[in-house]
Amino acid sequence: MRATAPTKTNLLKLREELKFARLGHELLDQKRNILVVELLTLVDQASDYEKKVEEALATAYASLQEAALTMGKLRVSSTGAAVNMRPTVTLKQRKVMGVVLPVVETAFEERSPHYSPLGTSVWMDKSVRDFQEALKLMGRFAELKASIMRLAAEVRKTIRKVNALEKIAIPDLEESVHYIQNRLEENERDMFTLMKLVKNRLTREESEAAIP
Amino acid sequence: MKYYVIGDEDAVLGFGLAGVRGRRVRTPEEAGEAFREALSDRDTGIVLITERVAELIRPQVDRYIFKEDFPLIVEIPDWEGKLTSRPPLREMVNAAIGIKL
Repeated sequence: MRATAPTKTNLLKLREELKFARLGHELLDQKRNILVVELLTLVDQASDYEKKVEEALATAYASLQEAALTMGKLRVSSTGAAVNMRPTVTLKQRKVMGVVLPVVETAFEERSPHYSPLGTSVWMDKSVRDFQEALKLMGRFAELKASIMRLAAEVRKTIRKVNALEKIAIPDLEESVHYIQNRLEENERDMFTLMKLVKNRLTREESEAAIP
Repeated sequence: MKYYVIGDEDAVLGFGLAGVRGRRVRTPEEAGEAFREALSDRDTGIVLITERVAELIRPQVDRYIFKEDFPLIVEIPDWEGKLTSRPPLREMVNAAIGIKL
């Protein structure tokens, strides 16, 4: 409880503060709920994507292995150097309750054919395609993962604020208001009895003066 | 913006086919250097790093993932498959916010 002088002004001020704290608590509670729901959907999507990425990569590595077996790793890498493909990432933003989340778009700029189909294995072509597919998934996966990290941090912050208000600030204010109210009422009663006393004494003095 | 890949030979070669620049690393020193290099380039949008390499420089990577916004870091399995020692995403989130989803 805070040490505040038990005056009417302080009482009004504290009541105002308490109202404000309650409003803030309600808003933050809503914010937390919305964030958690968003986080849940993102986590579901991300675990989905994680599986997809794993599968895509497994296929891509397998194709690469085949290509390396048929052509030799050296030739795969020298042929690969001729592939004219440039993946570009565009980062945008979206906002959820004031939290900035990234939105990733991957675009491929390619000029095929990249190399002569003569003397290169079909696995080479497949590796290129497979890795391109994997990369497409990767952009979205990165976006989801980063979003989850940021949202989780925000949720943690919000939970801390909600708890601080709920467990400390609001009870504290309530107690202060209660204390001041009690003190003021007590003072009033004091004054009341004092007045009674004075009035009694006055009437007694009056009647004593009237008798003789 | 561009992708950048840090990993073993196969990962770098494979993503190289799709036009991603990258660096092959084997030791923690090489990994740390490649990681710094990837981050220092303003044009790098997303860094792909294989789990096994990320494991070599785990403190560095984790500090980055939790603190910085950009570039985005993705850990990918290498040709041997997913590392089983890494906790699933859901558990990581639970641990991060301290409540169960």
